[in-house]
Amino acid sequence: MLVIRDLVKKYGNFIAVDHLNMEVERGQIFGFIGPNGAGKTTTMRIIATLLAPTSGQVLVDGIDVFKDPIKARGKIGYMPDFFGVYDNLKVMEYLDFYGSAYGIEYRQRRKIAQDLLELVDLSDKRDAYVDTLSRGMKQRLCLARCLMHNPDLLILDEPASGMDPRARAEIKGILKELKRMGKTILISSHILPEIAEICDSVGIIDRGKLVIQGSVEHIMQRMTGRTAVRIKVLRDVDRAVSLLKEQPMVTSVIEEDQELEVICRGSDEDLWQLLRILVNNDVPVISFRKMEGNLEQIFMEVTSDEEVAL
Amino acid sequence: MKRWLYNPVLASSLKTRMRGWRTAAAVTAYLGVMLFIAYIFFKISFENEIMHSLSVSANHSVGLRVYMLLAVLQFVLVLLVTPAQTAGVISSEREMQTLDLLLCTKMSPLSIIIGKLLSSLAFILLLVISSIPLFSLVFLFGGIAPEDVAMLFLFYIITAFAVGSIGVFYSALFKRTVVSTVVSYVTIFFLGIVSVVLGVYMMAVHYSQVPRPNDYYVPFILYINPAVGLSDLLSRQAGVTATGVSVGIWGLIFGVSSGLGVQQGWFQKLPLWVGNCAVMSVIAALLICASAWIIRPYKRLRRKS
Ligand SMILES: Nc1ncnc2c1ncn2[C@@H]1O[C@H](COP(=O)(O)OP(=O)(O)OP(=O)(O)O)[C@@H](O)[C@H]1O
Ligand SMILES: [Mg+2]
Repeated sequence: MLVIRDLVKKYGNFIAVDHLNMEVERGQIFGFIGPNGAGKTTTMRIIATLLAPTSGQVLVDGIDVFKDPIKARGKIGYMPDFFGVYDNLKVMEYLDFYGSAYGIEYRQRRKIAQDLLELVDLSDKRDAYVDTLSRGMKQRLCLARCLMHNPDLLILDEPASGMDPRARAEIKGILKELKRMGKTILISSHILPEIAEICDSVGIIDRGKLVIQGSVEHIMQRMTGRTAVRIKVLRDVDRAVSLLKEQPMVTSVIEEDQELEVICRGSDEDLWQLLRILVNNDVPVISFRKMEGNLEQIFMEVTSDEEVAL
Repeated sequence: MKRWLYNPVLASSLKTRMRGWRTAAAVTAYLGVMLFIAYIFFKISFENEIMHSLSVSANHSVGLRVYMLLAVLQFVLVLLVTPAQTAGVISSEREMQTLDLLLCTKMSPLSIIIGKLLSSLAFILLLVISSIPLFSLVFLFGGIAPEDVAMLFLFYIITAFAVGSIGVFYSALFKRTVVSTVVSYVTIFFLGIVSVVLGVYMMAVHYSQVPRPNDYYVPFILYINPAVGLSDLLSRQAGVTATGVSVGIWGLIFGVSSGLGVQQGWFQKLPLWVGNCAVMSVIAALLICASAWIIRPYKRLRRKS
């Protein structure tokens, strides 16, 4: 449904998106994860035909968005990270206006708008002025707005930012409903766990580069190739640290009081080797515990400079 | 054809702007003030005329003078109100963060700009058009023909478009409405002053070099100034219409455009105000296209595959 090939966007010398390649299949919810300034919004604006790429190609349902933006717009519903509403429009008029801007006939517009208000649970607000709505309501209205022309692909830039847990849950519910309706959804966030639950696959982007892409499970597996272990020693912490750092499978050691956090590559077999080395060297280990991987920790590791995190 | 004429931005804003009492109140207030000024002027003029000469034909000249006064007042109103109405149309969309939402619809940047310009001109055009009956009152006194009023209003509409397109252009160019508004007023003010100063200077130089009395020379720079156009229009109407042949101006336009078009300097043979309208229309069209170019997401020409 969405194919991004070698996408580059430069602002002067600064490379905001660096040879990005990714693919989202029809009917999937794809989580686009990255810290602030990673290039998520830039990528999404390019897909939404609002920004010209420096080079590269974006295909939406086979349409090159840069070559045929008008046609591509009919297939894309874009919800920006920040957006405003007109202060003089009522909810129904708001949807009607954008519907007309997408070239939909008057009669159809009213019907579609009513259905969408139902979907985002704003039916009782149809005659309220748009600027009197709460933030969460505006967010849902904006979601309804980008569905007016029945697009196949939804580009949602942090749709749940600044919302309370209940409002987030509501958005998630709507997204699941949209997925049932067959929409393809690209959704960005800088908090992975928040959307991991609803995503079929995720891509992690950092400084314009896609670090890893795949199903949530796939990423879990690749990431859990690295294991975190918490080790408690009775005494001789320094000796333990230097001993651990000598081992090739250990990538980092963080010291916390008498407890060490060790990240290492390898299987459980290797962990046992590690423990054996410590014990054989008379390090008084009193606790040796393998940590279960958690998406956010993985994400931190993937996106941080040195491999200290976890 | 109908689809092409339908502009969502315009339709939506007309629906919402005409809502409520504000617009109606503004129109009423404006007409009230104009009527009041006309009345005071009539009263003073008539009292003077009756005191000095008892001729009935004075009616004509009083009617004409009221017409001129109202015409100039309305012109000033157009110049003052239009920038304020138009200079925020795009920048406020940016400030409200709604421009992107509009740009990613199927509307082209050009139709967005045109829709925005028309809807921001709607108010001033409403004021102007609602004052037609007021100007028609002058018919009662004679001296002015309906086609004079028609030409005057055509002139207003074109002026509003030109001034409005300056406002829209700056609002597309600058991020902030405040900046765009200030720059619009400053531009219009300076264009007015500079064109007259430069024009008068060029005329002085021209006549000092080529002392020919029959030579009718108007420097091109004066054609950009609607104030010059208006004074030309009004003086023509004052001079020509007394004999009831203001249609003659139209004859001249047709004569020039069909027959004398190839002659050198044909443009300068047009009545000054017509040339002025033409220049303003061209400027408006250029600025509208420039604004559309500024807001369009893809600045460069399309690449080949
Ligand atoms: N118009 C611009 N001119 C120059 N640099 C820009 C521009 N827009 C974005 N950038 C830079 O591009 C980088 C990517 O920005 P982008 O907004 O895409 O990040 P993001 O992943 O959306 O971040 P966030 O999570 O904060 O929304 C940033 O470093 C930003 O400073
Ligand atoms: Mg962003």
